[in-house]
Amino acid sequence: MRHILRQTALTSASFAFLYLLIGCLSFLVFPDPSQGGIRDFQVAERTLFMTVPKYVFLGRSVLDTPDSKVILLGASNTAVGFIQKEIQPRLACAKVSNLAMGGANISEVAQIIDLVRETQSSPNHAPNTFVIGVWYGMFADSDIRFSDPDRHRGDSDLDIEKYRYGFYRRTANGPVAILPPKWLDVGVMAIRPLLLVEKAAREARTGVNLLLTGRRSAQRTEAEREVATMSEQDKRKALEYWQGNMGKNGISETESNLLESTIASLLDSGERVVLVDLPIPAWHRDASPYQAGYAEKFQELSRRFGSRSNFVSMSMSDLDGDLDYSDEVHAKRHLADVWSARLAALLSSFACREKPDKPRISSRGPEQATAASFDH
Amino acid sequence: MSLTSPLFFAFLAGVVLAYHLNASVSYRRAVLGLGNAIFIGSYLTDYTQVLPLIAFLLLGYGCVSVLSVWKSSVGLGLGILGVLAYYVFLKRFSFFDDFGHLPFPYLTIGLSYILFRVLHVMVDVHSGDLDERIDPLGFFRYTCNFLCFVSGPIQRYQDFRTADGTAVVELDADKVFQAFARVVAGYAKFVMIAAVAEYAFSFLKPQLFQAGDPSFAKLCILYAVAASLYTVYLYYNFSGYMDIVIGSGTLLGQTLPENFDNPFSASSFLEFWQRWHMTLSQWFKFYLFNPLVMLLMSCFPAPALTAYLGVFAFFVTFLVMGVWHGTTAVFVVYGLLMGAGASINKLWQVACTERLGKKRYKTMSETSGYIYFARGVTIGYFVLALTCLWTPELLDFARLIGRLGPAGVLAAFVGIALAFGSFWWLVDRVAPRLTAPAIFATARDSLVGRNLTLASQIMAIVAVTTLLHKSPDFVYKAF
Repeated sequence: MRHILRQTALTSASFAFLYLLIGCLSFLVFPDPSQGGIRDFQVAERTLFMTVPKYVFLGRSVLDTPDSKVILLGASNTAVGFIQKEIQPRLACAKVSNLAMGGANISEVAQIIDLVRETQSSPNHAPNTFVIGVWYGMFADSDIRFSDPDRHRGDSDLDIEKYRYGFYRRTANGPVAILPPKWLDVGVMAIRPLLLVEKAAREARTGVNLLLTGRRSAQRTEAEREVATMSEQDKRKALEYWQGNMGKNGISETESNLLESTIASLLDSGERVVLVDLPIPAWHRDASPYQAGYAEKFQELSRRFGSRSNFVSMSMSDLDGDLDYSDEVHAKRHLADVWSARLAALLSSFACREKPDKPRISSRGPEQATAASFDH
Repeated sequence: MSLTSPLFFAFLAGVVLAYHLNASVSYRRAVLGLGNAIFIGSYLTDYTQVLPLIAFLLLGYGCVSVLSVWKSSVGLGLGILGVLAYYVFLKRFSFFDDFGHLPFPYLTIGLSYILFRVLHVMVDVHSGDLDERIDPLGFFRYTCNFLCFVSGPIQRYQDFRTADGTAVVELDADKVFQAFARVVAGYAKFVMIAAVAEYAFSFLKPQLFQAGDPSFAKLCILYAVAASLYTVYLYYNFSGYMDIVIGSGTLLGQTLPENFDNPFSASSFLEFWQRWHMTLSQWFKFYLFNPLVMLLMSCFPAPALTAYLGVFAFFVTFLVMGVWHGTTAVFVVYGLLMGAGASINKLWQVACTERLGKKRYKTMSETSGYIYFARGVTIGYFVLALTCLWTPELLDFARLIGRLGPAGVLAAFVGIALAFGSFWWLVDRVAPRLTAPAIFATARDSLVGRNLTLASQIMAIVAVTTLLHKSPDFVYKAF
């Protein structure tokens, strides 16, 4: 017994020493961002948090400030289409953060909103402006969208982050917090050694990629996307992919209702919401069996909340030039600049007002003429 | 209770502490018995789920008790038949669906290994190798030892008895460290190597079944890589589990038998099975192969036939061992492949010995070229045969093999054999040159050095566990 207890103490002490050592090293390599941290969550790769879901989950406390905040939400087309560094200079009244997440559906967007709000103290809720970029691909049930073999069916990327470090526990009704939101930064501090080791592993993998393929990752660069075109076979495959990702019954009613209730709840608590209909290339829009149901839902939501002074919706459906997209969904950089400019213009007249006055629906942005020229 | 859950650590720590609180044999037996009951209980959500297992144990104990007073071959035959029939019924083999099944969910984990232990005790009691009377609680502690409950190792009762409540391993600082190191190494295999291999495998497997028309080369490479990854996953998952179990056993004063001995260094299929899942192979050798050979030799006593009777006995033994792995038809294919592998290997040995003579065959089989070739062929065959384990439905298996065709299977086999053979050739040349300088070795082996090494392994395990985020399960639990 004596030997077992001694060895337990030795192992525990050695582990604690090593853990603290790596923890200290993490502060040297990645100083604590505190409240002055990077606001653009799309540059997560440069931080200790590595990925957008991890950054959103672990680094969201940078949004707990009394400043006006514009928080961009959506899937990967919001991530690449609304460029934070393009929007921020045009919006002096608010700090812009892009929390959009690749593959997100409406449920995951709602999760992000909940996570942001639970970290903020109540007075810091009011200056929030949530920009929710939507398209039909986001209206897929979680069980269909999140069904890869390496995850529990229905777990979103955010759910995975919740469970990963033991901050939440799994229950039949979904994740339940173990660590109260107010202790988030303490929890993040405690897992810094793990984050650093994980970061090192990812950097090593990037190094191997670079060595073997001459590229950091399989993702295309902005320059490659700019010249990309889709063949007819690519288009067919893309349509098949989205049919597999959406299910057979059109856009999900559950997701539609969730978007509606999420917007209603934000508006009721005095926060502002911008709902953006994100365009897709014309060939995709015309061929997809889901587009009509989605367009109808968007119009319905715009009408329902149109009378609320803290709501505005924007459609950019005129920006549907096939050659302006690198694939079936994602805007090329030149088009992303237009998207960003349109959003910035709308936000400067909506988010920067002290009190929103009249409700409105904007179907065309102020740069309509410029945008139209991209429609080849 | 999953081996990777914090609950298991708490449970194990509790049992180890309680065990060492008092050196009284009856106290320690009570702790182990209670530990077994709690471990089994952790799998239950309702008491009814354990009733079939209790009935199985009672049936086994009843047979053992009868055989200890009535050492009749008829009695042994009837007992084995009864126990096997009840086991097959409980395991719900798909071939016996017509016999019906119990109308409620129940525990089947560990059933196969309990069967092996019960049959071993019955045979040994009948033969007189085991002449002491086993009390019911001792029988429970043996058949349901929580360390070996899920998937072995299959310990002989005679070995278990010497450590039942009596510490056969005298613990000192070094032995305890070695036990800790073994457990940590087991977790490293389990949650790092096996989990990463499974992660990669789970991404490749669906591509083999996806619609589309991939090129022949791509399909073969995909299949060879997926099948190899599954083998890596299976080995590290199972041998990691064994390290955890054997290391924990040391802390409870037990010496559990080893189950693996560098199987991938085997240069024949039969040698492979002397190194892989060793306690299972030995069990089949003692209780199926040996009696079968004896029976065949008594029926066909001609000396010229002896070697060929061995070939047949190998086929039957490995066929049964393969079929044991699962309850669907594809496991019969697996059994046939195992049987074919073993009997072809034996035939090769017989033919080479007859043609070359014992001495020349031995000389040939010791040349390095032959060894690497044989290693490659052995592993290549085993890797491909394991396909049955990851396509448990016969239809999927047939679809995959049909898609590859004979040429595809052969190409994959050659590719894997070449890769493994070359790998071993490289390892044997590079490994001897990789010795740490004396100063590092001294630092590593010091008290601080070895504990920091252990701590860094634990750190790596925690990091990989969080990175992969989905706890791996123990694969052999399903067999």
